[in-house]
Amino acid sequence: MKLSVAPQWPHGSRPDDKPVGRTTEHPGKPPPRDLAPGEPPPHPSPASLRGLDWFVFFVANVQTGFGPFISVYLTAMAWTQVEIGIVLSIGSLVSLLGQMPGGAIVDGARSERFVAGLSVAVIGASALIFAVWPSYVAVLGASVLHAAASCVLGPAMAAISLGLVGHDGMSERLGRNARFAAIGNGVAAAAMGAFGYWISPRSVFVVTAVLLVPALVALAFVRTSDIDPKRAHGGEPEKAPQRPLSSLFVASRLRPLLVFSASFMLFQLANTAMLPLMGSVLTMRSGRWATVLIAASIVVPQLLVALISPWIGRRAQIWGRRPLLILGFAVLPIRGVLFAVIHDPNVLVIAQLLDGVSAAVFGVLVPLVVADVTRGTGHFNLALGVAGTAIGIGATVSTTLAGYASDHLGSSAAFLLLAATAALGLLCIGLFMPETRPQPSRPTGPDGAGVIRA
Amino acid sequence: MHRHPRWEVAAAVAIAVALAVSPCHARSHHHHVRGAAHSAAPRAASPSADKTPAPASVALGEQQTELGKSGTLAIVFDSRDVQPVLGKLVRSSTGEDMGRLVDVVVDRDGQPRAAIIDFGGFLGVGSRKIAVDWGVLDFSREADKNVIRAELTRDQVKAAPEFKEGGPVVVLGASAGPQAVPAPTPEQKSPQQGEQK
Repeated sequence: MKLSVAPQWPHGSRPDDKPVGRTTEHPGKPPPRDLAPGEPPPHPSPASLRGLDWFVFFVANVQTGFGPFISVYLTAMAWTQVEIGIVLSIGSLVSLLGQMPGGAIVDGARSERFVAGLSVAVIGASALIFAVWPSYVAVLGASVLHAAASCVLGPAMAAISLGLVGHDGMSERLGRNARFAAIGNGVAAAAMGAFGYWISPRSVFVVTAVLLVPALVALAFVRTSDIDPKRAHGGEPEKAPQRPLSSLFVASRLRPLLVFSASFMLFQLANTAMLPLMGSVLTMRSGRWATVLIAASIVVPQLLVALISPWIGRRAQIWGRRPLLILGFAVLPIRGVLFAVIHDPNVLVIAQLLDGVSAAVFGVLVPLVVADVTRGTGHFNLALGVAGTAIGIGATVSTTLAGYASDHLGSSAAFLLLAATAALGLLCIGLFMPETRPQPSRPTGPDGAGVIRA
Repeated sequence: MHRHPRWEVAAAVAIAVALAVSPCHARSHHHHVRGAAHSAAPRAASPSADKTPAPASVALGEQQTELGKSGTLAIVFDSRDVQPVLGKLVRSSTGEDMGRLVDVVVDRDGQPRAAIIDFGGFLGVGSRKIAVDWGVLDFSREADKNVIRAELTRDQVKAAPEFKEGGPVVVLGASAGPQAVPAPTPEQKSPQQGEQK
């Protein structure tokens, strides 16, 4: 099997154009496999773009109820800690194993909108099951459904974005997606915290299920005719994969993707446990105000993400991906060290603002870089699944690692350990991650080898 | 339903029988906790005598009955006298939210020694499981039956070490601040505990 996918983008993109407007695909020099010659640039209607904005917003709303809050709710329903642990573990196992199949499903789908709508509907249904039928089997089933549907929904949203705007508009679009997702997360966290506290934990899942309706309405505004299925999968391969495994094979040959996935695994290994551990420290140090401070630690960085994501999307096109990746990765070890040395709870919350910077980089650049490296392969979503699996492994191990470290060495040592892990991730990105922005004005070898090693 | 179906069916039957047979018992509320705490000896002895699935009921002796053909002994309590505690909200005496009761720690005799409370946090982030002395809990003071009163403040329990199964259990006492009680010698605390209530 001939594999010329990796060096695709340096040849494939325009010689030396500056970043173009948000939704204009360059018609003059289309990459050989991305768009057929003469194919018109994407012209998504404003209604579709706004529909996607709000779809992303409401999906973020819907997903907020399903975080650590599940364990609060099940506790209130008189579940034992063992049962809650089993349900949460099975859920995270499914969401880990489902990443790649989920991406492959989206790659194979002809209507991304249908897939996205279906998975949101399944998530809404599982919220409803949580709310009305909190028995063991039902909740276990619902959390498996939720995890599986989320594995499809993430790539489906990325695919809709790419299908609407194409590669050239992707960085700007992802910045916008990240803004709406962050606003959705922040608003939902505040609102659901209030519902959970003043009404009942159950009401949170009722609200989650109800939010399914505006999510589907928003999705209905995205016109199917605006989504190019080929573009949504990262262009069409010249030949359809012959063997069932070949699609994975193509993905695994993309070395930048693997470097990127490994780096983000380290990132998430350091990142995931940081907020819960810091929240636990706040609970320990600040008696009365701990809850408010933790709420601020969750909501305020989201506002920062909402503020800077579009800027990051634009900068990714102007500066390239590497500087921003390095920025996002560099902030994380700093945050870890600050958490280790700061003792004042209020100052801790200020340091937590740094989370907004790395979260914005994470939200924009993960799908963006994956779109870069899979351009012209038709496997954008599968590759997103590969990255998602790596990130998921990092996230899963993170809490265990940090919990063990903080039990045996104390929270400061745990923060330093997380910071060291993050620094390793930074090193990995800095040394091995090539620039993936499709712009051959950078010095790359004609055979594309130069892009593998930066 | 999934956990102890037989017990739940038995309880349902017992309640049905109770409604048919007897008028309501209005009893003072304090007793079930105290009663349970003081009745170690009869409780330990009774299960060997009969195959009652709910030995705790012997202590109060509210309403003894037999279930169906099997002749299994059962006791009927008024719902005002007893309550399940898992998942109940815990509030401090000043009304501060202390979290939810997630587990009960018992000693070798089956006596409740501490309640594990999932303390603090927002939307499940940053909460800590801490053990508070069973004696500081008051199950009948609050008007809302879903709320348990704890005679502790948030500031008193915030710095408690996290409860881990398998490790030493540090139980926060009633009046003083954090008191470390190593797991192997919890007996030392039990006399005070009864008097505090």
